[in-house]
Amino acid sequence: MNSAAVFAFTCPVKTNSGNKALENLPVELAGLNAVNPLVVANARAVGSKAVRTLMGAFGDSGMTLGLFEGVTEATDLGVVDHLKNICLEKKYDAFIALGGGKAADVAKVLNLAVSLKTPDARRLLPEAPVRKRLLPLVVVPAAGADGLETSQLACLSRMVFSSEWLAPALAVLDPRLARAKNGIQMAATGLAALGRAVESHISADQNPFRKAYSFAAIRFVRENLLSAVADPGNRKAALAVLNSAAMSGCAFSNAASGRLHKLGQVFYDLLGIPQGVIMGMGLPLVLEDALREGRYDLAALFQPLAGDDAFAQTPAEKRPEAALVLLNRFLEDLRSVLGKELPKSLREAGVPGYRKEEILDVLGQDEDGPYLRGVVERMADGERERKG
Amino acid sequence: MLLPDYYEFCCRVKIVAGHDALEKIPDLLIERGAKKPLVITDKGVAGAGLTDIVSRAIGDRVDAGLIADDVPPDSDLRVVNRLARLYRDNACDAIIAVGGGSVMDTAKGINIVVSENAEDLMAFSGVGALKRPLKPLIAIPTTAGTGSEVTQVAVIKDHEKHLKMAFGSYFLLPDIAILDSRMTLTMPPFITAMTGMDAMSHAVEAYYCLQKNPLSDAHSLAAVGMIYRYLPLAVKNPEDRDSRLAMAVAACLAGIAFSNSMVGLVHNLGHATGSVCGVPHGLCMAILLPYGLEYNLHKRANVMAELLLPIAGEQVYLATPPEQRAQKVVSLIRGLNENLHAITGGRHARCLQEIKDREGKPSVPRDILPQIASAALLDGASIYNPEDTDYEDNRMVLEAAWEGKPLDRTRVKKG
Amino acid sequence: MSIIKDVQSGKKPLKRAYVAIFLWFTGRAIQAAAKVDREVKKEFEKLPENFTFSLGCLPDGPWMVVGREKGVVKYLGGDSRGRPVQVRLAIKSLDAGFLILSFQESTTLATARNRLITDGEIPYALAIIRILDIVEVYLLPKLIASLAVKRYPSWWTPARKFGGRIGVYTRTLLGI
Repeated sequence: MNSAAVFAFTCPVKTNSGNKALENLPVELAGLNAVNPLVVANARAVGSKAVRTLMGAFGDSGMTLGLFEGVTEATDLGVVDHLKNICLEKKYDAFIALGGGKAADVAKVLNLAVSLKTPDARRLLPEAPVRKRLLPLVVVPAAGADGLETSQLACLSRMVFSSEWLAPALAVLDPRLARAKNGIQMAATGLAALGRAVESHISADQNPFRKAYSFAAIRFVRENLLSAVADPGNRKAALAVLNSAAMSGCAFSNAASGRLHKLGQVFYDLLGIPQGVIMGMGLPLVLEDALREGRYDLAALFQPLAGDDAFAQTPAEKRPEAALVLLNRFLEDLRSVLGKELPKSLREAGVPGYRKEEILDVLGQDEDGPYLRGVVERMADGERERKG
Repeated sequence: MLLPDYYEFCCRVKIVAGHDALEKIPDLLIERGAKKPLVITDKGVAGAGLTDIVSRAIGDRVDAGLIADDVPPDSDLRVVNRLARLYRDNACDAIIAVGGGSVMDTAKGINIVVSENAEDLMAFSGVGALKRPLKPLIAIPTTAGTGSEVTQVAVIKDHEKHLKMAFGSYFLLPDIAILDSRMTLTMPPFITAMTGMDAMSHAVEAYYCLQKNPLSDAHSLAAVGMIYRYLPLAVKNPEDRDSRLAMAVAACLAGIAFSNSMVGLVHNLGHATGSVCGVPHGLCMAILLPYGLEYNLHKRANVMAELLLPIAGEQVYLATPPEQRAQKVVSLIRGLNENLHAITGGRHARCLQEIKDREGKPSVPRDILPQIASAALLDGASIYNPEDTDYEDNRMVLEAAWEGKPLDRTRVKKG
Repeated sequence: MSIIKDVQSGKKPLKRAYVAIFLWFTGRAIQAAAKVDREVKKEFEKLPENFTFSLGCLPDGPWMVVGREKGVVKYLGGDSRGRPVQVRLAIKSLDAGFLILSFQESTTLATARNRLITDGEIPYALAIIRILDIVEVYLLPKLIASLAVKRYPSWWTPARKFGGRIGVYTRTLLGI
């Protein structure tokens, strides 16, 4: 703990995780004083069965729910504005985002527009500070989750909204929705969670409250991601991965945006590559640099990654390097299950050279630009592959 | 790390911590649209000069001049109503509570009255009666122990009707908890010791009781390690600001853990001992903690063993065979009590028979143990204890804790 | 057509019926155990006259209500009919109620899993939980009951266990 500076931590998200978690929604909503919720879903991404499971959980509650299942990757502020008008007219008093990534982004910005009664949502500015408590938002992450669902971040129309009040009041993690479409989707969820949890766990401005979340997130990924990827029917492992994604979002909200996060974000925004895939590719590079520069507290990674016994057996000075070895082995194990589906380089990921240039241009505007551009160059044809 | 079949976890309190954390209050209030907080506290806290420190830190960017320093040690409905009137008459828009459990409870009670425009507080007792956010409440704990800055319950007593009203709701969680080392710097060593052990009992019980989950576990592990390391330092050097801050943070972590995982036998018997004999809660926790571990050891040995690493570090962990680790945790916690006993010149009691009142008379005579054992049957903490408890079990544990002898574990009834 | 559909939540008639039947059964069993078992009797005697408690599912039932009337413990049906209820044990959803009453999840586990909301004076609620535990031991075969309660009372005498069980069952079914 850095005792010289004042630190703050906040996690407004309640977690309900496990068997029949969805069925508690009527009671949870009543507790939030909501009776007329709107479900916002990306039905194509999560599948119609997931939508039915969620709606079915309200059985016997006597409630009527609004359902918008048309979220797509292309949904923008224009759609949000249209939705906002309907919401104000129909007086929805809570939002339930079903699915990973985009559905949560749309629900967060929609909540902002509806709660503030913004005349034109297309003119919402990310910089404008939010000073008001918004309507309750529930996120129900499912296949394709990236961990940002529980965060205070929302990305829409290439803009990043960030405010304590945007974070959901509740995250519902249900094993029936935890199953991914395929191994690579599960891996992407786990690696996005791992990337953000790792960055928040080792960054300079430490505090034990945030560390509790990142510790649990890293350990859960390490203990469960391989089984979840190898055996798509393993609900318990899939639920654990979903848990770690939710925890990583809470830790991330309380840390400065890390380099891996920025990489993941830019590739996802421009090329639609799942953030976890890119973060997994960049993780060893960024950490190797950190190790060389002695910049971050890499030793802190070793305990959640290795478990208590290995941690105790490894001398303190060897832990940073051991953490990196363990992480690389973990990524190799994932690749041995997924093969080329989990690309090692941008070339393997099928990113053409001219698109890479676009990425480099966008990164150039970031304060970490020069460094990140270097990492992207190394990712291009797989530095590790050549070395190894 | 164990993923339960189902769990819930929630702590919506914003935590602001540091040696100069109090200075953040004006910004935090303004962010929430508040300008005129009512500061409530008790005579002890005000007398120790702590409200002056708070006032100076707040400065004049917000109007925090209205201070009510007469909260009694036992929360009281009449006081709640009177202070609620004060709040309304002065058009306040937030509450700052400086103190321990009773001040926090009173603040939560006032907040219900002023936010819900309630005439009768009783209408909001019980679960689920509160439906919406209340006025901004900033909690500034002055002991590093109770964790009440992050709990969602409040108990208000109606002394006229002899009623105890319990309130429970996520909306009762304070909006912000400020952990500042200046608030505990003047706390005497023996009080530091017992409040610190109260926090330890929260962290440890949360780790082995029934509602444990990965997030409460992570909070417990962090708290246990910090308390074991910093508590003796804070007791030995009361003015060591870093140890004070570490203890405030650890007590808060432990508070978050136990309010999500709940507590068991230690609190069950501790509450009963406190109410029958009027002895300090923290001291009961310190004495009973090793017994709670021993009583539940046959059901939770593996889980308890995981506490050894954060408590004792790598060397001891490796040197202890896995099947002896839980037992080692028990003996280290006993050792911590011994250590605190030595540092405080014997004021930190190690067993129930050592607790003395102001005149030096024993506070817990042996013949009162049956009464405590019965009283414990009326306390809710037993629900979350891994092993069942009845009158005989309570009696057995209390006898051992009175003498200060380890529990004879062969006598624990296993179903 | 609006891009937002309004969806009426469905019904769960089978689960509801199952839970209702088992709540009815439990209610009658408590009434019976209060006559047969001295410990249950003692627990009830410590509760005030006209004491009433309910057990059921949120958000919309079903419920069972048991109360004391002139010293006699009675199953009062699925509705408190205006009687003030001192203790309410509410299971958070019908599905959780089904898990508990179909013995897939024991009372202890259900507590550990945060499935229940207890409303009312704590000492009374604890008495109710002790009563429910004893009734479970009577009603269920040892294999299931030992999962359902924290500690199966292996120290009960055979007379209490088997004699009591016959008594509880007969009275439950006959409603006396």
